[in-house]
Amino acid sequence: MTLASDGAAFGVGTGERPTRAGLALGARIPTLTVRVTRSDLVRYAGASGDFNTIHWSDRVAAQVGLPGVIAHGMLTMAYGARAVTDWIGDPGALVEYTVRFAKPVVVPDDDEGVEVVFEGRVATVLDDGLVRVDLNATCAGQRVLGLARAIVRLS
Amino acid sequence: MIDPSVAGRTYPAPRPYAVSREKVREFALAIGDALPAYLDATAARALGHVDVIAPPTFAAILAMDTWRDVMADLGVDFSRVLHTDQRFVADRPLRAGDIVQAETIIDDVRERMGASWLTLRTDLVTDADEHVCTAVATIMVRPAESRDGPG
Repeated sequence: MTLASDGAAFGVGTGERPTRAGLALGARIPTLTVRVTRSDLVRYAGASGDFNTIHWSDRVAAQVGLPGVIAHGMLTMAYGARAVTDWIGDPGALVEYTVRFAKPVVVPDDDEGVEVVFEGRVATVLDDGLVRVDLNATCAGQRVLGLARAIVRLS
Repeated sequence: MIDPSVAGRTYPAPRPYAVSREKVREFALAIGDALPAYLDATAARALGHVDVIAPPTFAAILAMDTWRDVMADLGVDFSRVLHTDQRFVADRPLRAGDIVQAETIIDDVRERMGASWLTLRTDLVTDADEHVCTAVATIMVRPAESRDGPG
């Protein structure tokens, strides 16, 4: 897969980590763009142990009524987590993470694969140093994750 | 349709799961994330962790491992399963060296839109009796005869 992050907000890449004090509600976290190919699905299947045939067989995907082979929801969810952990710097500060798999990410059998874009905004500053970030993930103009939110602990 | 009376059944993993540096590395690279805290113990320690930590969704490996027993018990083929919702609540990240016991409970069974919807809750507890993560999934199980796809 190929990855791109706009990296502009919050000085990502400079070692600067967000703090509660510097946060504005609605502020955007850096956008993460991921290009997913069939080869990524094979690799994720092996690493995760999720060998569900709908993630690698067009024949079985069609049999169960899918438009084609689809990405593991957990892989899409992992990319979304990365959008958040790239921003906070320490994955240990991600305390809760929820998604709904709203639409399947259909991955064509070609070299280009498909692009998924992850955007996030600071939604709420909670008690005890916790901050909620709401995520949006889109693929081919369609929302693939719904109700996606991460709760992070910031200093 | 799945009999609602299966709610409450529990499925402990047949053996504890040993989190290793190599598995964490393999998983991190498979999700395209070469963050040093996943790959290098020194970088992880610099963030205050004991050893390399696992990405937040690594817990899915342990959770979904128990799903195999759930599906076998319910007589469901995996190609009929669609994962619709997932939540992780972490007390702390999983890390290399952890020996973790996973147990899944069928929290809820409902019938909706011609399919069965199950809530599966998995708790991960270390051999030191430390609760590290709860993973809650909702899955939709299409009836065997269905050819209708999602959305």
